[in-house]
Amino acid sequence: MSNARLILRNLVKVFPARGGGGVLRAVDDVSLEIASGEFVTLLGPSGCGKTTTLRLIAGFELPSGGEILLDGGNVTNLPPNKRDMALVFQNYALFPHMSVADNVAYGLQTRGLPKAEIRRKVSDMLTSIGLHGLEERRPNQLSGGQQQRVALARCLVMEPRILLFDEPLSNLDAKLRVQMRAEIHGLQRRLGITSVYVTHDQIEAMALSDRIIVMNAGRIEQVGTPQEIYHLPRTRFVADFIGRANFLPATLLESSGETADVDILGQRMNVANSFQHGRGAALTAMIRPETIDLADDPSLPQVTVTQAMYLGSETEYVVNFGDHQLVVVDTSPRIGRFYAEGRQVGMALDPSSVHLLGAEA
Amino acid sequence: MQNVRARPSVGAQFRRILQDPILAVALVGSVIFVGLTIILPLLAMIGESVSTEGAVKFRDYLGSPVYQTIISNTLVMGVVVGAVGTLVGFLFAFVQVKLDVPFKRFMHVMALLPVISPPFAVATATIVLFGRSGMISRGIFGVRYDIYGLDGLTLALALSLFTVAYLNLKGMMEALDPALDEASANLGAGKLRTFFRVTLPMLIPGIASSFLLIFVESIADLGNPLVLGGNYEVLATRIYVSVIGLYDTTAAAVLSVILLVPSLTVFMVQRYWVSRASVVSVTGKPAGRPDTIKFAPVRWGLFGVVMFLCLLILLIYGTIFHGAFVNVPGVRNDFTLSHFDFVLNGIGAEAIQDTTLLSIVATPLAGLIGMVVAFLVVRKEFLGRQALDFGVMLGIAVPGTIIGIGYVLSFNGPITATLPILGEITLIPKLTGGQGLLGGALAIIIVYVIRSTPAALRTGAAALSQIDPAIEEASISLGADNARTFRRITLPLIRPAFLAGLIFAFARSMTTISAVVFLTTPQTKIMTQGILNEVENGRYGNAFAYCVILIGIVMVAIGIMYALVGSRTGAERRIEGGGQ
Ligand SMILES: Nc1ncnc2c1ncn2[C@@H]1O[C@H](COP(=O)(O)OP(=O)(O)OP(=O)(O)O)[C@@H](O)[C@H]1O
Ligand SMILES: [Mg+2]
Repeated sequence: MSNARLILRNLVKVFPARGGGGVLRAVDDVSLEIASGEFVTLLGPSGCGKTTTLRLIAGFELPSGGEILLDGGNVTNLPPNKRDMALVFQNYALFPHMSVADNVAYGLQTRGLPKAEIRRKVSDMLTSIGLHGLEERRPNQLSGGQQQRVALARCLVMEPRILLFDEPLSNLDAKLRVQMRAEIHGLQRRLGITSVYVTHDQIEAMALSDRIIVMNAGRIEQVGTPQEIYHLPRTRFVADFIGRANFLPATLLESSGETADVDILGQRMNVANSFQHGRGAALTAMIRPETIDLADDPSLPQVTVTQAMYLGSETEYVVNFGDHQLVVVDTSPRIGRFYAEGRQVGMALDPSSVHLLGAEA
Repeated sequence: MQNVRARPSVGAQFRRILQDPILAVALVGSVIFVGLTIILPLLAMIGESVSTEGAVKFRDYLGSPVYQTIISNTLVMGVVVGAVGTLVGFLFAFVQVKLDVPFKRFMHVMALLPVISPPFAVATATIVLFGRSGMISRGIFGVRYDIYGLDGLTLALALSLFTVAYLNLKGMMEALDPALDEASANLGAGKLRTFFRVTLPMLIPGIASSFLLIFVESIADLGNPLVLGGNYEVLATRIYVSVIGLYDTTAAAVLSVILLVPSLTVFMVQRYWVSRASVVSVTGKPAGRPDTIKFAPVRWGLFGVVMFLCLLILLIYGTIFHGAFVNVPGVRNDFTLSHFDFVLNGIGAEAIQDTTLLSIVATPLAGLIGMVVAFLVVRKEFLGRQALDFGVMLGIAVPGTIIGIGYVLSFNGPITATLPILGEITLIPKLTGGQGLLGGALAIIIVYVIRSTPAALRTGAAALSQIDPAIEEASISLGADNARTFRRITLPLIRPAFLAGLIFAFARSMTTISAVVFLTTPQTKIMTQGILNEVENGRYGNAFAYCVILIGIVMVAIGIMYALVGSRTGAERRIEGGGQ
């Protein structure tokens, strides 16, 4: 028996397709193990099945196939109120007819705790989450950020075995979002509550997660730490969805163990390689825009700048090399260093930042 | 690949519901309730009509010119009243929403007044005002006008039933996004053109729906045709006469089935087709106040028409009130309390007590059953969800006379079953008639409940669908089961709807006649039955005294319900999740 807290085994959820017959596999054979205290994020484009997966875990949907284990026990058919999980909803779903304190006390009352204990826990929680003094307010008398805090407090006070989040920050403005993100991060690390967090915001996912699960069309594309997902994406979809990426054809020249010599845009370079292909194999090189340098250096391959956008903390270029178009980001612009549109400039690729993908990936 | 179905199997869904005992009880209870109190009597009535004897009558009736006239009378009345009632409702709603005129509050109250008026009240007042020796027709204009017939029926029924159209259309007009009007106005369309090109088309489903609802209610109505029909006979009165005058329940059952056909057809068209077609953009956040129409001829013309109708309503209720305190209304107008003396100290007192008591018992039941079924139907997935909804709605879709006959046929004796070991046991004791359970009172309570539950169900369902299901899910996610969630979250949030359901249930119970007219017993007397007796004997003063008392009781009850259930703070009306 694994010591994972939550295990999803071959989970499938099928909906009847909207409009007409047929079915939609909203969640398609998802398997996953989440360790105790871990913070994982389900990340993917709209409609890829993130919310459905979360609702399966919470018990609001019944799986069409597969099972869910919590601390080794099978909870697949357990109703949501018996699962000892708490869900933070996208639109907060606060109880509008109750005060802040009553909202937070609700779950504890359901458990039948003594009144004094409830009062103490609610008060501690509200203080620790910065809502002290707002106990008697109604939800509609709170700002968006405060409402989100109440929603969070209401779940945290239950000390659930799993905390589930469905895009909890998407209704907040950009600044508040960053602030709440940091707060959730701090709270979760401090309390060590196992968390599954749904978002389609890659920055949020990277900032918060121990591991990211990238989903696409109901399936898991890749599971990994934020660094792995960003630097070593397994598919073109992942590379594209997280950050920006250039994809260039690469031909395998010589492979030796962990590295290989490849030809990229007519340059020979030695890069990390995990493929077993023989010489001459066609691969794809994924290169992040910020790992490419531009310089007035005639010894480098020359490219033409077709677009240049100065954004303050960085400069974004689109350059042409033969038929290939690349995005290049200068992440630390210096005064006077700006390559105007139409200019010729040298381009330096960093072999250690090249990541090889299968040709078809 | 695993074996995967399109949905969790029906079995899995049921298992889920059964895991929560209270949810299971609610579901099973609702199904049994509908089956026993609505489906069973309906089937008994249909069974009676297709008996050998019934089949013969069917052929006779459908071939007989007399009955053909009765059938066509019924349908013509339904169409005319539907059209006039919808038009009146539309005018009231339009003035309320789209015009900036004085006395709007007064008009609103006048439009709601018919809900609490007892049957016969409007019809009788109409006779007193406009009949052969009417205070207005004879007294002012000096004509001996014959109000009996389709004209009188149209006046009385349209004024009694237009409230549903008013509320329906007012809601729609308010919900219509004013931005639409504005967009059209910005494109250069004049106000009137905007109305005909933009507003009216969007209201068509509401207008159709109102028409159909009033049609169904008017062909089911018994009180008005009984008093005002004259030679204009309709199915409802013929059914009544068959039972009360001729003791021929088979004939009544056959006529009921004939009446049931248009009632159910139109009801289903309204419910499953027209109301689906409503495309009102209820955004929840109207983009501004609806623009009012300033064009004076339209503004003051409509104001005048609606004001006139209000005064007419006021006149009718004034007549009821006045008539209760004078010797012979319209003839000998000297003050007297003898009518009240008759009602309060005679047989009326018992009827007042019984009716009020039975209504008090039925009201919370109807309100609660309505909310529970609304919860099940809106929030839970299970096989037969639509059927349960439809079953409850039958309580009002089926004309009251038909329900009454169904009850007489089903529950006039005990329903027994013979079991292997226990022998014959009584499943349901005799409910109707003097020897029925509680002197027949239980049957009356049940009829009150099934007649009122549909309205509670609809208001409840409408309110529920406005509430983000995530709020209830949040409660469940925090460990509460379905019952606790319903009690602590759902019910408080739909409290305004619950209150409306209660008020409606009480008013309906107090004023209903068609469904219970066959169920009153010597032990259990009903006020509306008492009113009918007085009207039939031409003692209008006594009837009016009854009506005044009845209206008084309903008003007091509404006040009490507001105090008990009413919304304490405006904040509670805000039913969106975060209230942002
Ligand atoms: N109750 C339902 N019935 C039918 N289809 C559904 C249902 N719920 C979700 N779907 C479909 O399943 C797919 C996955 O939906 P889901 O809500 O899980 O996506 P998501 O990844 O959360 O997207 P978003 O980022 O937009 O919230 C979508 O195509 C959606 O339309
Ligand atoms: Mg989602």
